[in-house]
Amino acid sequence: MALSPSSPVPSIFKKKKSTSHLPSMATAASYLSAVHEADIRARNLDISPTSTPALSLSSSVTVSSEDTVLHENEDDSTGLAYPLTPPTSEQVFTTVHTEFGHCANESYRCTSQHNPDVPITEHEAEEPPYYILITTYISYLILICFGHVRDFFGKRIAPKYFTHLMPYNGYAPLNSDFDSFYTRRLKSRMDDCFSQPVTGVAGRTIVVYDRYSNDNNYTLHLTGTKTRSLNISSYNYLGFAQARGGCADAVEESIRRFGISTCGTRLEGGSNELHVAAEALVAKFLGMEDALVSSMGFATNSTFIPGLVGKGCLVISDEFNHASIRVGVRQSGAQVRMFKHNDMTNLESLLREVISQGQPKTHRPWKKILIIVEGLYSMEGTLVNLPRLVELKKKYKFFLFVDEAHSVGALGPHGRGVTDYFNIPPRSVDILMGTFTKSFGAAGGYIAGNKELIDALRLRGHSGTYAEAMPPPVLIQVIASMASIMGVAPSPTITKGGLTLSPSNSVSTLKASDCVEEQHPGLAPASILPSWLSLPPALYDGSEAQMRIRRLAFNSRYLHAGLDKLGFITYGHPFSPIVPLLIFNPGKMSMFARMMRARATPIVIVVVAYPATPLVTSRVRLCASAAHTKDDIDTILRACDEIGDILDLKHSQGERWPLEDIMRRSVELVNAV
Amino acid sequence: MDSSASTLEPLLAFLAYSSSKLESTFYKIPGSAVVARYVKSSHQNDPGRTILELILVIFAIRTLLQSRTRADRSGKNFIKFSEKEIDELVDEWTPEPLTQPLTEWDQRDLSSVPIISGPSGPKPKILATGKTVTNLASFNFAGLAGNEHIKERAVDTLRKYGLGSCGPPGFYGTIDVHLDLERDIAEFLGTEASILYSQGFSTISSVIPAFCKRGDIIVADRSVNFAIQKGIQISRSTVRWFDHNDLKSLEDALQSVDKERKKRKAPLTRRFIITEGIFERDGEMVDLPKLIELKFKYKYRLILDESISFGTVGRTGRGLTELYNVPASQIDMLVGSVANGLCSAGGFCAGSSIVVDHQRINAPSFVFSASMPALLATSASEAITHLRNTPSVLATLQENIRALRAVLEKTEGITLLGHRASPIVHFSLRSTSNTLVVPSSAPAFDAETEERVLQDIVDDALANGVLLTRAKHLKGQEMIESRPTIRIAVSAAFTKKEVEKAAAVVKASVGRVLSRRR
Repeated sequence: MALSPSSPVPSIFKKKKSTSHLPSMATAASYLSAVHEADIRARNLDISPTSTPALSLSSSVTVSSEDTVLHENEDDSTGLAYPLTPPTSEQVFTTVHTEFGHCANESYRCTSQHNPDVPITEHEAEEPPYYILITTYISYLILICFGHVRDFFGKRIAPKYFTHLMPYNGYAPLNSDFDSFYTRRLKSRMDDCFSQPVTGVAGRTIVVYDRYSNDNNYTLHLTGTKTRSLNISSYNYLGFAQARGGCADAVEESIRRFGISTCGTRLEGGSNELHVAAEALVAKFLGMEDALVSSMGFATNSTFIPGLVGKGCLVISDEFNHASIRVGVRQSGAQVRMFKHNDMTNLESLLREVISQGQPKTHRPWKKILIIVEGLYSMEGTLVNLPRLVELKKKYKFFLFVDEAHSVGALGPHGRGVTDYFNIPPRSVDILMGTFTKSFGAAGGYIAGNKELIDALRLRGHSGTYAEAMPPPVLIQVIASMASIMGVAPSPTITKGGLTLSPSNSVSTLKASDCVEEQHPGLAPASILPSWLSLPPALYDGSEAQMRIRRLAFNSRYLHAGLDKLGFITYGHPFSPIVPLLIFNPGKMSMFARMMRARATPIVIVVVAYPATPLVTSRVRLCASAAHTKDDIDTILRACDEIGDILDLKHSQGERWPLEDIMRRSVELVNAV
Repeated sequence: MDSSASTLEPLLAFLAYSSSKLESTFYKIPGSAVVARYVKSSHQNDPGRTILELILVIFAIRTLLQSRTRADRSGKNFIKFSEKEIDELVDEWTPEPLTQPLTEWDQRDLSSVPIISGPSGPKPKILATGKTVTNLASFNFAGLAGNEHIKERAVDTLRKYGLGSCGPPGFYGTIDVHLDLERDIAEFLGTEASILYSQGFSTISSVIPAFCKRGDIIVADRSVNFAIQKGIQISRSTVRWFDHNDLKSLEDALQSVDKERKKRKAPLTRRFIITEGIFERDGEMVDLPKLIELKFKYKYRLILDESISFGTVGRTGRGLTELYNVPASQIDMLVGSVANGLCSAGGFCAGSSIVVDHQRINAPSFVFSASMPALLATSASEAITHLRNTPSVLATLQENIRALRAVLEKTEGITLLGHRASPIVHFSLRSTSNTLVVPSSAPAFDAETEERVLQDIVDDALANGVLLTRAKHLKGQEMIESRPTIRIAVSAAFTKKEVEKAAAVVKASVGRVLSRRR
């Protein structure tokens, strides 16, 4: 077991020689380039960069990844490459600033936790003024009319653009002009805001390829240039999207040891010891009895829900549930009913109705009722009312499935998701599902529950039999990031491997021989982790991840409160890292995205419109990350403030503060929400 | 009488005044003249007509207000209960447990799954015993597992891109390496474009519903894999099944669909043939040139699943199109697995740029799922380069398949299935009936007993150093119950000697287990 923190640690408290003479950014930049050269030298000598003397001198700047600005030679007026305020000698950062921002101010931290004294209020969506609604409808009307006029004349004047939409040579069109109307005539007007190719790490900043179009987005061409932009779009909640650092080092080691793939499905020769380890760790992380992992987040829902319910069962699903849940339910053959988003009264009356009525026509009682909700809704930023659901569950005896795709890692004082946030024992929920794509910077998903259930799903879910197993590098990213969130318990008695597989059930039963304590949330027992895995001390003891969780909570709250105080209409829970900013008018969406991208500090954002949202409530979806610094959030607030004035987006009725006040009193604002 | 009239008088006057006031304000509203003219013309001094119109309006409003989800509340099946009765019913109701406990056979099934310690490859180590075995179970056809070039490329990618993409393709999850791999696949196959999905299994079950909608016609092989079945189920199209790998039966189906359409004078709908290149279920291979001929003759689009054949057959692994020398562009949607053929993860669909672009906004598991980690994409690109540059790999694979089949064909008590070029080799226990697929109404075999025997063979082979696996299927969820088989995946990573040795072990295990039963 090489888990001990024996790996060479850069002497992190060593002072830089020249820090006291650091008068301006110019010297800082030249200093950085010197460091960079040292780094290149080090790399050519093939020395592990973390242990080079040059770097231990300057650990506050650290290694650069391949795509950091040090290679790009851009001037740093954007504030993306280097921190706006140069670090002081005491501050030590082990991350690349472009991937994970440097922020040492301990007051910019916050704990994501539900206050039990405050009752959970149903989040009221604020309505915009009437003229906004009316202009929105009129905009859509104009767009639709124009589209039809263009179609009418287009088919007659330039029929070659329509051949693939018309019956041709005895073939029906793949997609008729009617079915594709919305895509062709409305969405294509803002195609430049979607699917933009990127390169490098999707961390605090991201490098996007610039595009142009000469034919109204019919075709989009790359200009060949790239722009580094502030990234407030990726689901990188805890900032684990990194090409450098302890997790990436572990992944590199795993590639060398295990290769890329396990070459098969879980049940047909694709099971690896890493799968067993990851599943045991996930179960421990969540405080559930057992867990299974699947190689794709979408498929976790779409292939395992059919293993849970079938004919004669009822699924009650929140109206805003993700598409993967809908696909899974449709494949299962169970009946579905929807309830109004997060409306527990509506849900209760529905429950009373369906239980009393039984199955349609026959009136036989339902075999079982499964309620599927999401922990954090990806388009609304709302949090499920879990305490109420657990109460209802006791009375109505349904089973509860919580999809924590966005909330796991991102919510709760220990990053364990909604159960942690509300301080509800995780086992009061029957099935916890989540993904590794978001907070853990990996890919795939998990399902956790009691052992009997998970074993049955291993056999009866579609993925185990037919889908490829999760690749080793992804598994190690999951294991390393998750262990660092939990912190690793140093195990006093280490037996060989520590893994004892009970002969009765070798896929699932992994008994950590020395782990008897069952408190939750607890540390990760070292015996579960692969013996070769060595994490840097800050990851090993969980302190860095704790900082990430607290930074994320601060950033989410600050972003949310800041936008509110600027006068924007936002949805969602104050602790939600997803902050939807309402735009309403379709024309303003693309303008907002383009103006954000064209700023001195370019910012990339996600705009979402119908059909992902209701027709009128088009929105910008901002995703805060632990990788952002307070300065980054300030930059975003300033950009929103200026663009919001130009586009007339500030329609909230609440109290407004000037931007300078918001930025100055951010800590007060965050703690007051 | 008089007094009542006098009391009514001011009331009447007020009524007259307010009606005239109403009328004048009504005419002030723009467009009111049109309404008035319409009412007048429809009234035509006939109150009956006005009443009819009124009823129509009320009916329209009622229909609009009626919520669709509430429809069955007012339906004749709805029983009205009092709150107390509902409470009682709620108390009374006891749901079934969430899962049925595992049977003894399920337990054995689960515990017999081998877990590999260390890297997967031709010679992995089994965790439970610590023994190194010969791997005839996992998909490492071209021997790409553990390739050092690919590993190096993956590490380089990791250091530039990190691991996760942290977003769906639409929202900054399209990394340049994804576009590179899509282009590599398209160039490799010779199609206009291709699209990358992040899981092999979810690829075709998402491609089918992206194109096939309600009312469309699908003609599919009866024995297609589970992913296709799920895709067809989700699409809600009309399905016709044809007999397994029987193109005559396909033609009959196409003709009868055609006849039916002419008879009913139905409008032109989209029509698709869905089948597999090499069938996952038994290793049979479809006659592609004939299939394409039929597709053009009856004007169908072809969705071909090459999950097994891509990366394994043809001179450089381009799949069936290379084997039969058919341009890939003649297949409308060519679906393949990056996970199986290129030893990475994910799947792809290649076709014309219209077909591909359509999926970018309509295929659920592309749109709603995070894109694949960058290093898996570059590994796959590297694997394609490897296949292009070293065609000898696939020649070795074919040689190994021949060597394996030669030994197994001589083995007593089993039936070898599938095409002789197929990299997966299934065998079932020999019995009187020779067809693999038997209608579920009259099973000519006892699935569970056969499964147990086959599992005994797998266990015995493992004890003797060869890793095998039964071909697993979800019981009760598959459309047809196929006969239990053992599936061998041949790899180019072995020498001919090694394959022959491993096959001899399998042969010996079969002999031992079967003789024990007699």
